[in-house]
Amino acid sequence: MNKYNATLLLLLMIFSFAISRASAQQDSVPAKELVKLRYFNDKNKIQYLVLENSQKKGKETKPLATKTFSLYLDSMNRVNFIGNVTTDKNGRAKSFLPPSLKSAWNASAPHTFIAVPEGREESMSELEITKAKIQIDTASEDSTRNIIVQVSKYENDTWVPANEVEMRIGIKRLGGVLSAGDEESYTTDSTGTVTIELLKKNIPGDAKGNIVVAAKTEDNDLYGNLYVEKVVPWGIAVNPDTGFFEKRTLWSTRFRTPYWLLMMAYSIIIAVWGTLIYLILQIVKIKKIGIAQA
Amino acid sequence: MNETNTSRREFLIGGILSTLAVAGCKENAHPFSTTEEVVLTGEKVKLLSVDGEIIEVDKAYLKPVPDIPTLSNSEERKGIAGKKFVMVIDLSRCKNLKKCQSACNHMHFLEPDQSWIKVHSMQDADHSAPYWQPTTCMHCDEPPCVKVCPVDATFKRQDGIVSIDSDRCIGCRFCMAACPYSTRIFNWDAPVLPEAVARQKYSCETSVPQKKGTVGKCDFCPDMVRKGELPHCVSACPNGVFMFGDMNEDSVTNGAETFRFSELIKDKAGYRLMEDLGTKPSVYYLPAVNRSFPYESGLGNQNADDHKNH
Amino acid sequence: MITKIIKVSVVKNLSTTTIDAITQDLLPQKFGKRGMIWTAGLILLCLIGAFAYYRQLKYGLIVTHMRDYVSWGIYISNFVFFVAISLVGSLITAIFRLANVKWATPLTRIAEIIAVSAIVFASLIIIVDMGRPERMLNLFVHGRMQSPIIWDVIVIGTYFFISLLLLYFPLLPDLKILIRAKEKTGRALNKVYRFQGSFWKGNAAQFKISERAITILCIMIIPVAFSIHTVTSWLFATTYRPGWDSTNFGAYFISGAFLVGAGAVVVAMYIFRKFYRLEKYITEMHFEKMGRIVVMLALLYLYFNINEYLVPAFKMKKPEEAHLRQLFTGEYAVMFWLAILIGMIIPVIILLFRKGRKPVPMFIAGVMIVVGAWFKRYLIVTPTLLHPFLPIQDVPASFHQYFPSLEEWAIAIGSLAGGLLVITFFARIYPIIPIQETITEQHEKDEQI
Repeated sequence: MNKYNATLLLLLMIFSFAISRASAQQDSVPAKELVKLRYFNDKNKIQYLVLENSQKKGKETKPLATKTFSLYLDSMNRVNFIGNVTTDKNGRAKSFLPPSLKSAWNASAPHTFIAVPEGREESMSELEITKAKIQIDTASEDSTRNIIVQVSKYENDTWVPANEVEMRIGIKRLGGVLSAGDEESYTTDSTGTVTIELLKKNIPGDAKGNIVVAAKTEDNDLYGNLYVEKVVPWGIAVNPDTGFFEKRTLWSTRFRTPYWLLMMAYSIIIAVWGTLIYLILQIVKIKKIGIAQA
Repeated sequence: MNETNTSRREFLIGGILSTLAVAGCKENAHPFSTTEEVVLTGEKVKLLSVDGEIIEVDKAYLKPVPDIPTLSNSEERKGIAGKKFVMVIDLSRCKNLKKCQSACNHMHFLEPDQSWIKVHSMQDADHSAPYWQPTTCMHCDEPPCVKVCPVDATFKRQDGIVSIDSDRCIGCRFCMAACPYSTRIFNWDAPVLPEAVARQKYSCETSVPQKKGTVGKCDFCPDMVRKGELPHCVSACPNGVFMFGDMNEDSVTNGAETFRFSELIKDKAGYRLMEDLGTKPSVYYLPAVNRSFPYESGLGNQNADDHKNH
Repeated sequence: MITKIIKVSVVKNLSTTTIDAITQDLLPQKFGKRGMIWTAGLILLCLIGAFAYYRQLKYGLIVTHMRDYVSWGIYISNFVFFVAISLVGSLITAIFRLANVKWATPLTRIAEIIAVSAIVFASLIIIVDMGRPERMLNLFVHGRMQSPIIWDVIVIGTYFFISLLLLYFPLLPDLKILIRAKEKTGRALNKVYRFQGSFWKGNAAQFKISERAITILCIMIIPVAFSIHTVTSWLFATTYRPGWDSTNFGAYFISGAFLVGAGAVVVAMYIFRKFYRLEKYITEMHFEKMGRIVVMLALLYLYFNINEYLVPAFKMKKPEEAHLRQLFTGEYAVMFWLAILIGMIIPVIILLFRKGRKPVPMFIAGVMIVVGAWFKRYLIVTPTLLHPFLPIQDVPASFHQYFPSLEEWAIAIGSLAGGLLVITFFARIYPIIPIQETITEQHEKDEQI
């Protein structure tokens, strides 16, 4: 190989190396793995953890499915083991707390939930929760209707009021809670209570006029997701119109064709095809005459 | 001793019953549904309650979103009773991010050129301002597409959703000609699907798997709504442009904010597209007033094939 | 109702040599060399079309260039074209028979076979256009009476049946003649004739039933023929789209159908006359009369076109503006003006003159009318779809235009070839001019002299 060829080859190697590095750089735009632990307290009874595992690459976030995690309460040992969970196709997993943790749970108020991805103990995630409960009550005096929500946290073996807790209070609707007043959210005062007046008038309820008033915190730093609801007869009775589906219209199914269309179509079809059948019979008649004559 | 045992047993039973009742009214259930549409496995799992008690719950609730029972074709054609779905799209918040489109395409296994949601660059008159308009199926109350379908492959449900039965569709494309919003797409080719998805039975509520030679369109994600969740486009939009709800409840939400539908439309002068055609669409638009973003911020994401000089 | 009661004895008065001469002239003739080449060419085109359809079944409609916006292409414009041509059966056969227009008798069978062949291929091309042809039965099991497609299926099926009967009844007397001419037609065909009509003896009773049946059919076919093309026009007029949202469509389509049907009959007249040496039966008088009719029909169609385009152009509503501009001055302007010029105006000019109503110029005019009509149907279907209400955006560049793919051309041409093939085979097997009726009329003419 002469000098010229050698230089060319070297340049080519450097060039391709640089390109592969550059493309490797592009591929290795940092892909961050996100693990989000959320704690739910449903009506002061059922509690559970929801784990969401996703991967963020540049602007795209996609859920990671079939990933296994081990969950622990307060410390990573056998005694405090909550359970193993595997994320579903949406990257979510859910776990209740097993009865075996009863004493550990009752021992203190603040707790830490630990999620450890399978085999990778160094990248664990934590969530700190203080035990809390939320209560909702309603009162109606004169023409005003009030919703009273109280949040208490467990501290030193007693329930004390929790202040500065932001939450949504209102009427439970599809997919969310419609605020009862004018604000989007309300915060508890030093007594752990917040009272709001139901300003929305003529709320549609169910067939009997019942609505569900609800209060919920959304991923509160201290208490997680608290939720409580109560059924009250403060709505107006709504009987959704089912007649719409039963009407005979041009856009209904074939079983609900308008009568005028059915009549027109079938009378024409019967008249025309009746005549055609008659004519076929005439052919038969001609045939009979022909055979008879022969 | 006995008494304590009895009372504890009573307490436990009472606890179980109330738990079941509580479990029956899960956070995500419809407020007015009397029966929970969850497939119960019959197996119970013990759990620790908030106040340290041990209660039992059906194993079905261990899933982040419990399974709902499979529906028959006639149930899918009838739809959810007592609901009238409506969508409100706030044009003042849209900057053509197309997250709605990519989420919808991802969940329904669509190719980018088959998007059910299209984000149009609209300019109503020469001197009026341009804006971004995401367009889904309007789920009209007098749908021209349903009127012309010869085989009942597309139909209007009692919850307002216009759905497609890809097992019935003969691919005549009359519905595509009839729709004035040009919202329907056609599977000219065999759809690109993972094998497990392609083998599934077709459901009108998920509109998956799509079939070659049939028509497809936005379906308001009835499978999500049955589980108490919002359609994928609504959850995916980071700016809260899409709001979805039930007209009978008079409320729409984008996940983060919930509004009273009648108030929202009145305050923000909501309107529908092509009102004078008489199709009575179920999608309302809020005009692009007091915009969150200038129109130009969306130009970067515009489809390269669109030769518009905005 | 006009009942012709033909006394059999009357026919016997005509000299047997005349009867023989007429019969020999009109019996179906074997294919000569040109006939074979013609048939072979048509079969080849059909096979290419069939192969293209096989590809379409295998890969899906992706092999066409139709996409989400132009979702109807030349399959549908071919369908409209075929339905239009098939109306000629009602025009020539029915209307002329009922009006007792005697000179049209030689043309009735030509018209009927064009009608039957066209309606068959209309149905076939519509099946080709379906995304899921194997689900065709859904139309009958799950059919919705509210849908204009179901109305189309019903009326086309009915029209097909009526046209078949209108072919069959007048064929019966000719079958008797064909059965007797066994040496000329051959054994295989003889068996076919026997199966179809050996029971026809030609006595008064049979003629009476037959004549009455034909009259009933002629009366019935006229409203049914009007229905098929009106309902086909409603496939477009029941949508909101600019260019289709017109109250004019039913009448517009029917007048166009009469014109293209008459043009097709003129072309067929010329070809059969020339290649089967039928100058004595399809005379220059026939061309003269048909020429006048074609002029009238062309002017009528021109009138409807003016209504259809001038009136919206006067208003220029926003959705229609882009559509009309593309037709008058835009990308479809050349096709639009040529279709009008070649399809309507030039034929009218040719046929206004007596010299223009001679066979050869009429043949040219007929061809121009048919070709112009095909492009006219294409102009009705595709340009509208390129101007939807919401702008075409967020889709690949290929969605912004439409030009048929090779498979579409192959199938469309194959269907046209197939239609011609059916007509060719019919003329090979049956007399293209009714023999018995020609004999009868010859006698009536001699009686008058």
